[in-house]
Amino acid sequence: MSDGAAASEGTAVDDGAGIRPVVISGLGWVGAAGCGRQALTEALGDGRVVTSRVEDLDSYGRQHAGPRHSLDYPGGRLAHLAAAQDLSPWLHPRKARRMSQPSKFAVAAAHMACTDASLDVASGAGNMAVVLATNFGPSSFTEGILEQIYTESPEAVSPFLFTESVANAPTAQVALALGATGPNITVTQREAGCLLALGRAAREIENGRAEVALVLAVDEMTALLHRVLNRFGALARARGGEEMARPFDLRRNGTLAAEGACALVMESAAHCERRGGLPLARLRAQVAAFDPTAPSAGWGRRPEALEQRLRQGLRSQGVVVDSIDRIVSGAGGHRHGDWVEAKLLRALWGEAALPPVLVPKATVGDYAGGFLAAAVLAASGVPFASTPGFQQRDPDLGIVPHDGSPSAPPRRLLVSTLGVGGSAAWMVLEP
Amino acid sequence: MTQRQSQKDLSSVAVAVTGLGAVSACGWGIAPLWQGLSRGETMVSQPQKFETSDQRTRLVAEVAAPDAEWRQLFAEDSTVTRADGFALFAAREAMAQAGLDLPMPDLGVFFGGSTAGMAEAEAFYGHLVDGKIGGARLRLVAGHPINSPGDAVARHVGAMGPVVTLSSACASGALAFGAALDALRVGEVEVALAGGADSLCRLTYAGFNSLRAVDSDPCRPFRQGRQGLSMGEGAGVVVLETLQHAMARRAPILGWLVGAGSSCDAHHMTAPHPQGRGAAEAIRSALADGSIDASAVSFINAHGTGTPHNDISEWRAIGSVFGKRAEHLPVTSTKGVIGHLLGSSGAIEAVATLLCLQHRSVHPTPGAGEIDGEMEVDLVTDAPRQIAADSRAVSTSFAFGGSNAALVFASPGSRVEGRQ
Repeated sequence: MSDGAAASEGTAVDDGAGIRPVVISGLGWVGAAGCGRQALTEALGDGRVVTSRVEDLDSYGRQHAGPRHSLDYPGGRLAHLAAAQDLSPWLHPRKARRMSQPSKFAVAAAHMACTDASLDVASGAGNMAVVLATNFGPSSFTEGILEQIYTESPEAVSPFLFTESVANAPTAQVALALGATGPNITVTQREAGCLLALGRAAREIENGRAEVALVLAVDEMTALLHRVLNRFGALARARGGEEMARPFDLRRNGTLAAEGACALVMESAAHCERRGGLPLARLRAQVAAFDPTAPSAGWGRRPEALEQRLRQGLRSQGVVVDSIDRIVSGAGGHRHGDWVEAKLLRALWGEAALPPVLVPKATVGDYAGGFLAAAVLAASGVPFASTPGFQQRDPDLGIVPHDGSPSAPPRRLLVSTLGVGGSAAWMVLEP
Repeated sequence: MTQRQSQKDLSSVAVAVTGLGAVSACGWGIAPLWQGLSRGETMVSQPQKFETSDQRTRLVAEVAAPDAEWRQLFAEDSTVTRADGFALFAAREAMAQAGLDLPMPDLGVFFGGSTAGMAEAEAFYGHLVDGKIGGARLRLVAGHPINSPGDAVARHVGAMGPVVTLSSACASGALAFGAALDALRVGEVEVALAGGADSLCRLTYAGFNSLRAVDSDPCRPFRQGRQGLSMGEGAGVVVLETLQHAMARRAPILGWLVGAGSSCDAHHMTAPHPQGRGAAEAIRSALADGSIDASAVSFINAHGTGTPHNDISEWRAIGSVFGKRAEHLPVTSTKGVIGHLLGSSGAIEAVATLLCLQHRSVHPTPGAGEIDGEMEVDLVTDAPRQIAADSRAVSTSFAFGGSNAALVFASPGSRVEGRQ
């Protein structure tokens, strides 16, 4: 069944329930297909997946390892989505010298988002909040420090590498670059982190602690990290064809790891209106939950329990499932993760047909916020091409992602993401 | 789940503390922590297990080996990291004190941390560099993500509410408390665990040494000649509940989380603003959030790292908020006893603050030397300082990158707005 219980309660509280409305009014993106809102719009519209090859790992003792090297790629699988490297239009090379790669991505995306929102931060962003999500933090700098410790000595550690290795370094660099003195928060909750960061920023605005917030998601992909993810079975394998994410497809076998950043300008609707900003999307509801049956490196076994949490959360915020006419799914092509997502969505809609399901990770890959940016663009009415990599329906999932056919602009979207380890987060966005 | 609160109601929801848990260099549990804090003796010493012989400095506040039950836990699940173990112990202790039975599906978990399973990941990396690939087992990096301790707790207690880990360096734990407070106020959850856990690792120890931010002697917060911090490890966890929820099940009220505030210096990646601008803003924001006048604050549990720049900056922030009264406002630093727990420092210092309020006694700050003449700080030294039964306290946390957080707590017997 669809949400009959909530529907019977009517939509009397379907107006924001007294919480200060917040909107998203600017978007910046650094990814494999380029930089900025237009580049992402085109990539999603074309269904273009831009992959690169990961560097080799010679510096990590492969010469001693022989054929049993525990981090080898059987079959030479090396694809990932490397972010565009020319950030100079948004970040002066002199300033970039003192930043880790995630900090560079984040600061460049932040400037793009502010420009996109026509937000003047030239004289300082005031009490703007900065809330950033990252899966892995500045991994290359962490590896660099460990290399110094293990190949030289602890005394060889570079203070520069250390200060930029902490997970919140990109968040701090954004605040420094913009002069943002509001709350400065870093969320590390795997794939659910980007939506949790959006929700955290919304709370800062709803509670009046900031008028404007920048919400970011950022990650970099190093050779070592890529190989560790591969060993955990997280990454897509070629199997004689292309390495593709293939979300919801019968042949799915992993995700494509991406690097880059997404930045969103979030503000109170009143603030946006006062300054003549143009909202891309309005945040209507946020829900978070956890599946305690999930192992630390996988997903859980109780999609129906997550569905109940989601349903209750939506109901408490006056959102009726029937009113949702688009889904932006965080499915990334994982064998079990996509199964949990599919079962959850199917349970939420019951016997009713699902609205169109957009799966941006098929195009932008996992991590680095491409999913979050795509969800906002979907809310603003950007058309998506057919889902790359999807060819064969999985009868156990019963979900056929968006096939590229034209559809009316959405009125209300459910954005869904399930993190490795059990965390889950959802947003409802409106144009 | 309750109907979400409207904006006008948010500040009127009192949030009760009903359980405390801790692991520190003082021992496994709240009792040894309070005993250690009351004695006011530093636990910073030569470590038994953590290797510092090749580092510039040698001392840490290390957690001693757990008892048999907890050793068994580690033995049974090879993916449980040292930090996970700290978190699990503290969470179990807090929930037991609160009288909450497992599983707790309606629970939310809000954690802060910075190193998580880094110590185990270092072993993985070490094997890799040495070419001992067979030793580089994946289980060593399974707990590397910073969300590992919070997730481990959520898994253990069967939580199905929101689970969120924040990692804003040394402000992480306090920010997690703020996130939990928001979730309780808006009705997202009625009961939550807030806390943090971190373990010692070579990366952070070498990193802080590279910054020349570690004292070769036990840290001396606010003292003349202080040279830096002393690193520690452990966990602090509290059970937070809406008053309605706590009253309905007749839970013991151990204190109140009244307000939370945060800010950013936007000044420098590592150095605090010299005038404590952002720190002062975080304290003001927390007081405003809890509708507490600065004159009602009875003491401050300072960030008090013992680094030359932090302590003077913090003192100026306190002066900026409390004016002339700052000179007569008792200040203590928990780090003087148990060292700096990095991402979980805000969490265990919140526990320490609540213990002080509960026992009507501000714990002393150990450390050699006179108080720095540049500061008129009323540092509690030598012996505990008594406070009234109806007291309020501020706990501060300041981080790399200029991220600042402050929490306001009240005594169990306090008249708290929204409590009735």
